Amino acid sequence: MRKIIELKGITKSFDGDVVLDHIDLDIYDNEFITLLGPSGCGKTTTLRIIAGFEQPDSGTVTFLGEDLLSLPPHKRNVNTVFQRYALFPHLNVYENIAFPLRVKKAPNDEIDTQVHEMLKLVALEGFEKRSVTSLSGGQQQRVAIARALVSRPKVLLLDEPLAALDAKLRKDMQLELHKIQRASGITFIFVTHDQEEALSMSDTVVVMAEGKIQQIGTPVDIYNEPQNAFVADFIGESNILNGVMLEDRKVRFHGHVFECVDAGFGKNEPVDVVVRPEDVDIVPEEKGMLRGVVTGVTFLGVHYEIIVDVQGFKWMIQTTDFVDVDEHIGLYIEPDAIQIMKKSKYSGMFGDYSSFSNEFDELSDAEAEVEEE
Amino acid sequence: MFTIKLSAKIYTALILVFLFAPIVILLVFSFNASKSLSVMQGGSLYWYRELFRDAETLGAVRNTLLLAITAAVVSTVMGTAAAVGIHRLRSRYLRLAYDTVTNIPMINPDIITGISLMLMFVFVGRLFGAATSLNFWTMLIAHITFCLPYVILQVLPKLQQMDSSLPEAAMDLGCTPLKAFLKVEIPEIMPGIVTGLIMAFTLSLDDFVISYFTSGNGFETLPIRIYNMTKKTVTPKMYALSTIIFFTILALLIMSNLIDTTAPGVERPEKKVRTAEQKKRLRIAGGIGVVLAAGMIAVMIIGAPDRPVLNVYNWGEYISDGSEDSFNTIKGFEKWYKENYGSEVEVNYSTFASNEDMYSKIASGAVSYDVIIPSDYMIARMREEGMLLPLDKDNIPNYDECIGESFRGLYYDPEDLYTVPYTYSFVGVIWDAEQVDEEDTGDWDLLWNEKYRGNILQFNNSRDAFATAQYKLGLDVNNTDPAEWRAALEELKAQQPLVKSYVMDEIYNMMESGEAAIASYYAGDYFTMVDSEADTVDLQFYVPERTNYFIDAMCIPSCCQQKELAEAFINYMLEEEPAIANAEYIMYGCPNRLVYENEDYAEEMGEEAMEILYPDLDQFAEKFNEFAYRNLDSQTLDLVNTLWEELKIN
Repeated sequence: MRKIIELKGITKSFDGDVVLDHIDLDIYDNEFITLLGPSGCGKTTTLRIIAGFEQPDSGTVTFLGEDLLSLPPHKRNVNTVFQRYALFPHLNVYENIAFPLRVKKAPNDEIDTQVHEMLKLVALEGFEKRSVTSLSGGQQQRVAIARALVSRPKVLLLDEPLAALDAKLRKDMQLELHKIQRASGITFIFVTHDQEEALSMSDTVVVMAEGKIQQIGTPVDIYNEPQNAFVADFIGESNILNGVMLEDRKVRFHGHVFECVDAGFGKNEPVDVVVRPEDVDIVPEEKGMLRGVVTGVTFLGVHYEIIVDVQGFKWMIQTTDFVDVDEHIGLYIEPDAIQIMKKSKYSGMFGDYSSFSNEFDELSDAEAEVEEE
Repeated sequence: MFTIKLSAKIYTALILVFLFAPIVILLVFSFNASKSLSVMQGGSLYWYRELFRDAETLGAVRNTLLLAITAAVVSTVMGTAAAVGIHRLRSRYLRLAYDTVTNIPMINPDIITGISLMLMFVFVGRLFGAATSLNFWTMLIAHITFCLPYVILQVLPKLQQMDSSLPEAAMDLGCTPLKAFLKVEIPEIMPGIVTGLIMAFTLSLDDFVISYFTSGNGFETLPIRIYNMTKKTVTPKMYALSTIIFFTILALLIMSNLIDTTAPGVERPEKKVRTAEQKKRLRIAGGIGVVLAAGMIAVMIIGAPDRPVLNVYNWGEYISDGSEDSFNTIKGFEKWYKENYGSEVEVNYSTFASNEDMYSKIASGAVSYDVIIPSDYMIARMREEGMLLPLDKDNIPNYDECIGESFRGLYYDPEDLYTVPYTYSFVGVIWDAEQVDEEDTGDWDLLWNEKYRGNILQFNNSRDAFATAQYKLGLDVNNTDPAEWRAALEELKAQQPLVKSYVMDEIYNMMESGEAAIASYYAGDYFTMVDSEADTVDLQFYVPERTNYFIDAMCIPSCCQQKELAEAFINYMLEEEPAIANAEYIMYGCPNRLVYENEDYAEEMGEEAMEILYPDLDQFAEKFNEFAYRNLDSQTLDLVNTLWEELKIN
């Protein structure tokens, strides 16, 4: 695969706050790559540097091997889909999409062909004469995508384009975006703080926090083999425990020695142990590797989410079997369900569900979104 | 509940009446067939026709429009640029600071803005040694200055409402920063720009205070011209003009509201996409418009003639100007000059409303006039202060023939070095023969006659009111003895219970309609009242033995740039044709022998008027020197004011 954009040692700070701290990132042709992280992690700034709206303090960006930073935004072969679409209210749907072609002074018949092609791609045929302000959020979204794609950029930058849509529409648009990317063959760089969105659409996910890249990988890699507590917690739900690597494929936590599949750590090295909630089996108490008391049960439709107190550490377990509060149960964990990570600055910060509540989680998500704006 | 609703409705109706009654009255009277303010004598378009024949007023309208359009366009461009600049500032404090600074001129009283601008123009003018520093350009700068904040105030919020990623999106899609601004930001903030433009236009159109301080030679705007008409009554032509202006501004207002409701964000009908051909045509039309506007301004400024320009400064409505089929004195002079001197000249004519206005304008040193026509006491003051130039009588050969002994050796110019008298008048008593017995008339006692209690009008101005008492008591109106002034005050107090009200311009209405029966006022104005008196009123006039006289005379101020030309003008004003035309137009007494000895003139004025205006002229100089007001020293002025307040408080 051809490398299309290469970021090297990108650093950027605003008013003394470091927003990007030595970012290195390669982006390949025809790839759907997602920058994922909480608000303030630097993902949008990275995007704006590629688009040309910000200049980094240091570092280089190359585009097909050529320096990109010396070019102003209008000379870069990348287009952006903005978070609030940034459609031009004084132009109708047709003229919004035709805008980049008119700027290039393309002939009218060519403009007409291309705009109609785009309208077809985003399924908005027949909307040509409509005012953009009369469209629904999803329709505006698609006009914005059509407008950004009509001049055939090499790379499309999408800055949280789905954040303003409701949940149902969001799912549809995720599929749609994926389809459009496949159909157009253009590299998509997608920014989001929604991990589900990232996992479902991307070829590559870049997890960012505090101006640094935490992990780059396919969605499956990122989910199954998080490299530190931050990634493990940010992607899906995780129980993260302090453990000690006794030897290759043997780890101890909660005073119990487990078999695992990881190797290559030092003898008796302290590690973070990750166990996904859906990977824990509930067994009768006497058959369990660990024993605990159920302290909370939440019904979520597909499964129950139960909180289990094991020696003071609260586990989250997702199960289709019903157990009642105060029930004593045993936990059983397969060796390949255990992921071992090196200790990092995020160790001990995540992975204990002592103060967990669904509501609380949603609240903090909402806050993150507000901050982003 | 019902009564509350009803009273709310009545209240609203009352407010509407208060708001719109004046405009409705103005509108109605603009269609009046007669001159009167109180009597409606059938509808006609007479005053509209007159308006469009009045070259001076139309000139003022043209000036006003030229100034308003230029100021509006320039301040809109500058204001929009400034708003964009302020909007792009990164520092919030700097933005706030700019915001506040630009708002100050709006809060600042106009009078302060006006005075400070004048001061600056005069100062800078002196620095560069300019003889006159106030002109079209200074007025334009002043108007741009006060319009600018309003434009910024309209545009800035539109920028703040705009999604900040719009210009980024445009650049992202291939626009240079300039193109992004023109193609995306400008259309977005267009409603603000248009509202700003309209606001600047209307503000400039009706500004009086700032224009008053910054206007210079000959460039007179409409509000200033109307204000300067107050020496005499404002002619109903101005009602017609005001009506037209009112509807023009109303139309602009409606337009601006329509633009606001069709702004982006509001549901609107689908916009038609213009074809390339239509766009091209639009662009051509726009281009032509810009060229025309630029041409108009260029003609106005560069096209200024290289022939000599004579600046004349006179009272409003104080010259026969070609309206109502009269003789056009200014045009007449330009023609006469060419015939007699063989070269072209252009007269730049402007007007003032009072001696004091004229004085302060000239004393500011920012203007230069060649001929002025002030009143006696002001001439005395200006002569003492060295503000007048002696006349070269060789250049005014008509003087000896026209101005008789009666009008020479007057106190303000005892050796006749500085002035040529233009008009004179005196105060007399006007009475309604339908209400007053003739045997009671003849002297000042009529104004103190118990029989007419509640029907008498007195001047609402200290000098004139005191004078009626002083003449009655046989006192000297120029005395500085406080005891004499006190005696006059007692006389006025004694009169007070009989007085219907103290008036100035309202006198026209009250006398014409018969609302009051007795008043003292100037002879010339009496004729105006007779012209429009109601059918049930029969106004008469007599001049008491002792009364106030005034003379307005032509002089050359020391700021004059064209003395010989000015003298030629004064000479021309004494010629028979213009002199008679002016005398007939102004209806005051004319000190020119060619006028008062002319039979056609006497016939035109009528026997009564001739008797009143031209009594025994042999005694004129003597009476004038004895009875006319002169400048009082400041101590006496203070005393008069104090006594006047004492009277008015009662």
